Amino acid sequence: MVIRIAAVGDVHLDEDVVGRFRPALEELPGSADALLLAGDLTRHGTEAEARCVAREFGDLGVPVITVLGNHDHQCDQVPQVVKVLEDAGITVLEGTGVVVDTPGGRLGVAGVKGFGGGFAGRCASDFGEPEMKAFVRTTRESADALADALLSLDCDALVALTHYSPVPDTLAGEPLEIYPFLGCYQLGQAIDAAPTALALHGHAHHGTERGTTPGGVRVRNVAHPVIKQAYSVFHLGGDQLD
Amino acid sequence: MTGLSGDVPPDEYVEAEIQSMLAEDPTVAEQGITVVRRENGLVLYGEVESPHRREEILRRVAERFPDTHVTSDIGVIRTQAPTQVEELP
Repeated sequence: MVIRIAAVGDVHLDEDVVGRFRPALEELPGSADALLLAGDLTRHGTEAEARCVAREFGDLGVPVITVLGNHDHQCDQVPQVVKVLEDAGITVLEGTGVVVDTPGGRLGVAGVKGFGGGFAGRCASDFGEPEMKAFVRTTRESADALADALLSLDCDALVALTHYSPVPDTLAGEPLEIYPFLGCYQLGQAIDAAPTALALHGHAHHGTERGTTPGGVRVRNVAHPVIKQAYSVFHLGGDQLD
Repeated sequence: MTGLSGDVPPDEYVEAEIQSMLAEDPTVAEQGITVVRRENGLVLYGEVESPHRREEILRRVAERFPDTHVTSDIGVIRTQAPTQVEELP
């Protein structure tokens, strides 16, 4: 049996974008069992922008599950943004998970925004100034929350949803110097600690689509500027890799 | 490609200031635009979600650096439904 997952991130909605995605989204019930959004739903994280997201991504006929991104934090209105999204029926994950019944089986999705920090051998350490220690502790706490959420789910197919990247592979195309601001290896470690089938993230607009964690979990960068379509569709449990 | 006129060659600090402005200016808030220095000016490239955002970027850069020649190759990201799926066994 196949579980069909649609996904996109970094749609950065505001009034000027409302309606652009909707025609493609209307096709979703025929092509996917759930839509996953990989953060940066808005430009500045305002309640008004969240209402644009609710109009565009609400009432689609399939479950919509999201994490927030760094843009969604910009105006310090996270509780209001989350409320608007949840009132529209969109599930917002942050160190939490959800299981959705689909015709192909139970799809489990665990999500966090994640954070930067860098990758093995080229990363920040929990040492020195308070600001640096706070940075790295934020990274670790986020990854720990993802691991806990992934391990808590009882499902047939497990998906990790983040905004920041868990691997450097899908950042190829971005300047090497900014990798520590685009993701961290601790998210990959969390994904590998659970029986994860697929990891989806956004954030890296100049990155590439495909990568794997050190443990062999497939990672896909679904940032809108990377996939260049309204969303990508993945068939978990499908016949062959394309 | 769209060009904005000017005759002052930009230096590294101008490049840095434009990059910061594009991210931090509330009317822009774009982190996905790359600024490249060329002999005769700057080239901005990347992709945004609407034509309005592209115009706003060019307007703000021209306003802040009226003497810098800026060329734009910023696209608007397509939003069509996918025609293929990826099978993941």
